[in-house]
Amino acid sequence: MPVLGGAVTFSRFHAEHARKPPSDLRRWISRALASNAFEPLDPRRAEEDRAVGFVELEDPDATEFAGVLQGEYALFAWRVDAIKVRAAAVKAEVERWIAAETAEKGHPPGKREKAERREIVRQQLRQKAEPISKTHDVSWNLESGQVAIWAASRKVVEEAAAAIEAAFEVRLHPVTPGAAAARAELPEKALLPTAELVGVGAAARPEVDHEA
Amino acid sequence: MRREQARAEAAFLRGDAGVDGRATDEETRDEAEVEKDKAREQLFRGRTYLGREFLTWLLWRSESTAAVTALEDVDVEVIFTGRLTLRGLAGDVVELVARGAAAPYAEQVRRALDVGLLVHQARLRITHGEQVFEATLDAEFLDVRAAKLPELLTEEEDDRLLERLALTGKLSALVDALVGTFLEIRASPTWRRKVVPAMKAWMGEPGAAEKASKDVEAPSGRPARAGRRVG
Repeated sequence: MPVLGGAVTFSRFHAEHARKPPSDLRRWISRALASNAFEPLDPRRAEEDRAVGFVELEDPDATEFAGVLQGEYALFAWRVDAIKVRAAAVKAEVERWIAAETAEKGHPPGKREKAERREIVRQQLRQKAEPISKTHDVSWNLESGQVAIWAASRKVVEEAAAAIEAAFEVRLHPVTPGAAAARAELPEKALLPTAELVGVGAAARPEVDHEA
Repeated sequence: MRREQARAEAAFLRGDAGVDGRATDEETRDEAEVEKDKAREQLFRGRTYLGREFLTWLLWRSESTAAVTALEDVDVEVIFTGRLTLRGLAGDVVELVARGAAAPYAEQVRRALDVGLLVHQARLRITHGEQVFEATLDAEFLDVRAAKLPELLTEEEDDRLLERLALTGKLSALVDALVGTFLEIRASPTWRRKVVPAMKAWMGEPGAAEKASKDVEAPSGRPARAGRRVG
């Protein structure tokens, strides 16, 4: 749990509310998180290989969110469970079956039989596999509006950010120089690439500022 | 023989070979061109170029060791330390990585900057009063990676959590202050008129740092202090 200790790696956003949050912040946050609370994978459902959702910061199995507020921060986590079946394991099982079939019938199985067997083996291995579970902390300073998603994977950051936007009806703006410039309403002309530095061609150059 | 003939006929029917049996000229894109297109796309996506200009400007400013900006009336000083990743479009080179304790300030890095390979990712040491932070920043998202925070002062677990969060908030604020100072200069006429020429001079010539630092005025019109790089 990086927020509590360990590596400090996070992506930063600024939250913009569509509507003013209600005065009962704890209830608002708890309900929003509960709307997309994590539900474990059902191993019987073959089509589900991945499950995502919000969980409590200090207990990845809990989704009550009672203690979500700490000081000026809302603290929770984004959990991602995935079942992965190694292709090498499937291949090994299928090859064992092909050898057995060939020995029994005197000829190897056909292409369609192999494909069917591959799917059966994949499902069997999937039933036995334990989901790999990862949680990624989220800290939201409710006073400053800054949201930090403590994850190294850009894919996870974007997925968690989208979930937060949907659950809380907020827009999360990345905190980049480009975004900061847009928020400061700097003129477009001032934000074009500096050709002398980036080395792009004349097409990307801004109009010459004759007053400079 | 018949099998070879069958193979040749099949290749011809697929369009992989011409009547003479030689491979046809497919319209395949040169790998280098594909790479350059990707580099160009990344440069403009989300205005990554602004992030690279920011980190490159910051590298230039940090060489003087003077404060780059201030936060809450306390100076913010920056040093680049360790690994530096440069990216851009410089002929066939789209990325260079420099490693070494003093690598960010090496002449080889300045030469690469001069041809358009700007700072894309860097490890920074940011000093704010008595507090020292380290972090790796990237130009595209300004994500904070592998940051080192000042030592926590509180003992209680709950207090330590809040103190840790406060320090990460402080680190964010320091990065925002640096970006804010950069954008103020970037959007002013001083950028093209003075700062960019000074940066190019620093990139292109050995010993250019000293000369450049004396030539640049602050955007507000304050004269530069001797040895202090402003702009």
